[in-house]
Amino acid sequence: MTGEHLRIEVSNLTKRFGAVTAVEDLSFTVEQGMITGFLGPNGAGKTTTMRMIIGHVAPTSGTATIGGRRYGDIPCPSATVGAVFDAAAFHPRHSARDHLLVYAAMGGYPASRVAELLGLLGLAGAADRKTRGFSTGMRQRLNLATALLGDPRVLLLDEPGNGLDPEGMSWLRSFLRHLADEGRTILISSHALGEVQQIVDDVVVIRQGRLVASGRLSELAGSAPPVLVRSPDAAVLARTLMENPPEGVAAPRVEPVQPGELRVHGLDAPQIAELAAAHRLRVHGLVTENASLEQLFLDLTTSDLTVEERGSAR
Amino acid sequence: MRRLIKAEFRRLLATRMWLVTLLVAALLGGGLIGMMTIVGPENFDPPMPGLQTEAGVRSVLGMLGFTAFVPAAIGTLAVTSEYRYRTVNFTFLFAPHRWQVLTAKLVTYGVAGMLYGLVLTGTAAVAFFGAVAARGVSLGMPTGTVIELLARIAVAMVAYTVLGVGMGALIRNQTAALCVVIGYLYAGEMLLMMIPGINLVYPWLPGGATASLTDFTAVADAMSQQLSTDPVHLLSPVAGAMVLMGYTALASAAAVLRPMRRDIT
Ligand SMILES: Nc1ncnc2c1ncn2[C@@H]1O[C@H](COP(=O)(O)OP(=O)(O)OP(=O)(O)O)[C@@H](O)[C@H]1O
Ligand SMILES: [Mg+2]
Repeated sequence: MTGEHLRIEVSNLTKRFGAVTAVEDLSFTVEQGMITGFLGPNGAGKTTTMRMIIGHVAPTSGTATIGGRRYGDIPCPSATVGAVFDAAAFHPRHSARDHLLVYAAMGGYPASRVAELLGLLGLAGAADRKTRGFSTGMRQRLNLATALLGDPRVLLLDEPGNGLDPEGMSWLRSFLRHLADEGRTILISSHALGEVQQIVDDVVVIRQGRLVASGRLSELAGSAPPVLVRSPDAAVLARTLMENPPEGVAAPRVEPVQPGELRVHGLDAPQIAELAAAHRLRVHGLVTENASLEQLFLDLTTSDLTVEERGSAR
Repeated sequence: MRRLIKAEFRRLLATRMWLVTLLVAALLGGGLIGMMTIVGPENFDPPMPGLQTEAGVRSVLGMLGFTAFVPAAIGTLAVTSEYRYRTVNFTFLFAPHRWQVLTAKLVTYGVAGMLYGLVLTGTAAVAFFGAVAARGVSLGMPTGTVIELLARIAVAMVAYTVLGVGMGALIRNQTAALCVVIGYLYAGEMLLMMIPGINLVYPWLPGGATASLTDFTAVADAMSQQLSTDPVHLLSPVAGAMVLMGYTALASAAAVLRPMRRDIT
C-alpha cells in the first residue's frame, strides 16, 4: 500500500442502455480512509455506477476517477483497487486455491499471498474444494479474497451482504471495519440502510440513477432521533417541554400519537426525563426511535423530493 | 503480458479438460487412423482408392481434418466460459486493457492448439505406419510426404483453435458460440454448397482452404459429383494455407477488438 491520495470522484456520470437511463448526471466523491455506503432501492443504478468506476461499463457521458486517474490508466490496477460484484465469479471446477492462483499470476503476486488470504478469510479448510459446492458465505469470502490479492487501498463492494446469514453479516461488518481501520477507502452498496448503518461513515443515496443525498450519516439523520413518551400527564408534559427547553436547545416539536403518548423531536430521552422530573410530571415510558434512519432512507428513496427540496419546503 | 499468459496457462491447467482433450486427440489420431488403415480404404463403403495409391493415403489422413471442431470448440470455450461463469469480472478488473487479455488467450490457445495438433498427428503417424507395416502394404506416397501432410494437418489445428477463440469473443454466449462453430464446421459449409454458385466460393471458405492445405479433395469431389456440377478446383496448398491464415488473422483481430467497448453488466 502506498500513501498516495486515493479519492473516488464521480462527475456528471450518465449511462443509457438503449431507452433505459440507468444513471443520470450523477456526481459524488468518496473520501479516502472511510467506509461510504452507496444506497438506493433495486434498479437505482448502484451496480452500473460501480462498474463505470472500474471501466466494466463505458459511461454515456461524464467521468469516474480514482486518485485522479481513470481505472484503465492506473499502473497496477489490482494493487490499487479491488472490487466484488456477483455472488459467484469462479469456474465451478476450479478450487478456491486454483482460482486465486490464476489471479495471483495475473496480478504478479506470489503464491504465498494466496495462502495468506485463504487463511485470513477462513477458507484454508476449503481451499482445495471445487467452488461449485461453495455456500453463499464461502463465495463471498472467496470474492473478497480475490479482490484483496493485491492488497488494494480502495475497495468497491456491490451488495456483499446479499444472502449472508446474521452471523455471516456480522463477520463481514467486523472484517470491513478492520479493513477500513487500515486506512482503506471502501464503497459498499446496499439496498437496505440497516445492513450497513453500523459500519458506514458517509452515505451516498441514489434513486432512479440520480443523487438524492450524500454526506455524513449522522448529519443526514438530523441531530437526535425522536423519542416516544408515555405519560398520564401527556398534555401538560407536551406544553412543558415546548415552553421550557434546556439551556441552548431549540424548542422541541411534540407530536401527539394517541392519548397518553407523545413523539418528541429535538430532545433526547435524558433531557425529557429531567424536565418531567423538574416539573413533577409522571413518565411511564421513554423509547428512542432508532428506526428513524431507516425511515429517512425510505423517505429519501420513495418521495419525489430531494433533500434540498425537502429542506426548503419545511 | 507475460503475467497474463501465465495466468491463462494456470487457468487452462487447473481443470482436467486439457488431459481429456489430449486423450481425445490420441483417440482420434491413433484410434481413427489406425482403424481406417487396418481396414483399408479399398474396403470402405463406398470403396476408395487403396493405400498403395497417393489418393488413398490422402483420403485416410485427410479425415483428420474433420476433427478440427475439437480444437475450435476448445478455443471458443476459452472465452465464453469467462462470461458464463463471470470470471470476466475479475479478469477485466486485474487487466483493464481487454485486448491484452484476448491476446494472451490467443497465444496460450495457439500453443495449446499446437500441442493438440502434435498429439493428433503424432499418434496418427504411429498408428498409420504401424498398421501399414502390419498389413505389408507398399505405400503410394513417400514417407517424407506423409509426414509433411501430417504437419500441415497440425498447422490447421492451430488455426482452428485460434478461429475458435475469435468466435468465442464475437459470440459471448457459450451455447450459441459452440452451436455456430461446430454447426458451421460440420454442416454449415456443406449446406452452403447446395446454393448454386457457392461452390465457386468453396475453395475460399475455411473448409475449402483446409482441404487444399491438407490435400483432401474427397469432399469437394463428392460434392461436385452429387451436384453434377463442374469439379470444384481447390486452391494450391500454399494458397489454402494463406486463406486459412487470413481467417485466423480476422478472428484474432475480432477477438482483440470486439470486447474493447462492450459493457460487462
Ligand atoms: N445491460 C443492461 N441493459 C439494459 N438495462 C440495464 C442493463 N444493466 C442495467 N440496466 C438497467 O439499469 C438500471 C439500473 O440497474 P443497476 O443494476 O445498476 O441497479 P442497482 O441499483 O444495482 O439495482 P439492484 O439493487 O437491483 O442490484 C435498471 O433499470 C436496470 O434494468
Ligand atoms: Mg445491483
